[in-house]
Amino acid sequence: MDKIDWEEVARRIDSRDLPIIYMEDVHRYYIVGDIVVKALDGVSVKIYKGDFTAIMGPSGSGKSTLMNLVGCLDTPTSGKILIDGEDTRGLNETELAYIRNRKIGFVFQQFNLLGKITALENVMTPLLYTGGISAHERRERAEQALEKVGLADRMKHLPNELSGGQKQRVAIARALVTRPSIILADEPTGALDTKTGEQIMELFYSLNKEGNTIVVVTHNDEIGNACPNQIRIRDGKREA
Amino acid sequence: MVIQNIKLALGSMKGGKMRTVLSLLGIIIGVASVVTILTLGNSATGSITDSITSSGYDLIYLSPAFGSKTRETFDESFAERLRKNVDGIGLVMPTVSGNARVRNGSIVTSTSIMGVNSDYAANMDYKESYGSWFGVEDNIFKRQVVVLGSDIAEKLFPGGNAVGNYITIFRDQGKKYLVVAVMEAKDASLGASFNSTVYIPYNTYTQRFQRVSGVGTYIIKVAENHDPKVVNADATKYLDDLVGTDNYMIISSASLAEMVSSVTGTLSIFLAAIGGISLLVGGIGIMNIMLVSVAERTKEIGIRKALGASPRVIRGQFLTEAITLTSFGGVVGIVIGIGLSKIVANIAGWGFAVSVNACLLSVGFSMAIGIFFGLYPAAKAAKMDPIDSLNYE
Repeated sequence: MDKIDWEEVARRIDSRDLPIIYMEDVHRYYIVGDIVVKALDGVSVKIYKGDFTAIMGPSGSGKSTLMNLVGCLDTPTSGKILIDGEDTRGLNETELAYIRNRKIGFVFQQFNLLGKITALENVMTPLLYTGGISAHERRERAEQALEKVGLADRMKHLPNELSGGQKQRVAIARALVTRPSIILADEPTGALDTKTGEQIMELFYSLNKEGNTIVVVTHNDEIGNACPNQIRIRDGKREA
Repeated sequence: MVIQNIKLALGSMKGGKMRTVLSLLGIIIGVASVVTILTLGNSATGSITDSITSSGYDLIYLSPAFGSKTRETFDESFAERLRKNVDGIGLVMPTVSGNARVRNGSIVTSTSIMGVNSDYAANMDYKESYGSWFGVEDNIFKRQVVVLGSDIAEKLFPGGNAVGNYITIFRDQGKKYLVVAVMEAKDASLGASFNSTVYIPYNTYTQRFQRVSGVGTYIIKVAENHDPKVVNADATKYLDDLVGTDNYMIISSASLAEMVSSVTGTLSIFLAAIGGISLLVGGIGIMNIMLVSVAERTKEIGIRKALGASPRVIRGQFLTEAITLTSFGGVVGIVIGIGLSKIVANIAGWGFAVSVNACLLSVGFSMAIGIFFGLYPAAKAAKMDPIDSLNYE
């Protein structure tokens, strides 16, 4: 096997010569009792750096499975996945956790903030897992991230003292704080009213303009169609 | 990371105060009882051995049985024979004792009378508070002088000023005796309850109170650089051959002190083991609460994993929580244990000596329990599937 020139790979990803997310004929099967559930049945995807892509499909289509694979929460039954040049096949839990921490910034429908700690501490948490970052720098970077999402005045608040929109902004700040390769948002507006949802989407647009690669997983056509690129999934396969 | 984990642990302990206290009760009771038992064991042993050895660690008490045969052997020249035949015999002090009624004016009481030589007080480390112990000539001329222990002096002379006054001792005849000294209080020791004894010269005693002469008890001081226990054993062997086992009794303060420590030591270990069982039961309580905590926080574990926490990090978080929990219980238990033993020691009148070893042992043991019983719940948390735990409601 040839030695990988990571600088070259990074340069080519930066110049959109190589995709930042590359999936080739990916299958993900689950065995439930005697039945094999083909959640993903041969999907290929290319997403380039700086893209703003919606992964769309009705519930049960396999889009959540796709998101779990892109987010390195899961590994495929067969097929190839490269995240920022990194092959996730055969990685163990610890190695997957490493990639999640450095390359993926998750935003969830239900915000998934840790309830007993402040907004600032929530945003600092991923940096704790990166390791080698001083408490001072963790705090500084978390403060910057919260300022970026417009929550400079809510840092010391506990999640239950924040509105839904504010919680989602904290979650976005938490996703941004590690400077990940990809921001992966799973139904980010699903728990918000329309107006607040629009504001969150606008935040994503502006983050995308700054060069962030954003993937939004949604069953909502309105949200999905508003994104510059769409990938549609149905019955575990990509729709043309 | 460790600091962060301890902060998290303290946070979750504060979050459920009642639960924390209840789950820690086993550990707290266990540690408190171990510390109390070992500390009190120390204090009690110290107090008993102190009183046994208060006149010296190097004393051997030899009491002949009554009877004409032993009387021939145990005469005043016996000391020389003993010294010749047993290595390490230092001073030998013959003593005689009995009971008598004593009177000063209208105060009459019954007490023990002891006939001893003029060097008795100095050799027993027994000090006068007034006057001075009778001299050699008092013994030679069988003078009617007495020295009073502190309690009996107080009883006969409630107003003080015993020295220079006379008391009457009723035995045969009611003769008057001049009080020449009153002693300081001294803890009762082997064969001698100092404070309630009236001391008179040995020869005065044998002349006035004994129809048949014979030494009551020899108090033997072991010579320097000899092990009291070895001397005791040698003397026992010699005496067995001389008069037979049944015709004398020998006790050394060293062997008695050792026996007492070994008995109380065994008892302490036994009781501490029972405390240890409580610690073990407490540990199972910790495991239970940690399993509940892990189950309750499935979602949190999922979130942390999504943010990049490796299994090792998750395991460390929950293990730290278990150790913090049990260490906290250990410290609380030590504080309670020390307080409890201080109260008991005060009531019993023992010297109070905290067993530092017991404290270190208990904290170490409770931390070990934290690790042992925290490991399984922590491993369970670490192994959770990130997707399943994220979707857990």
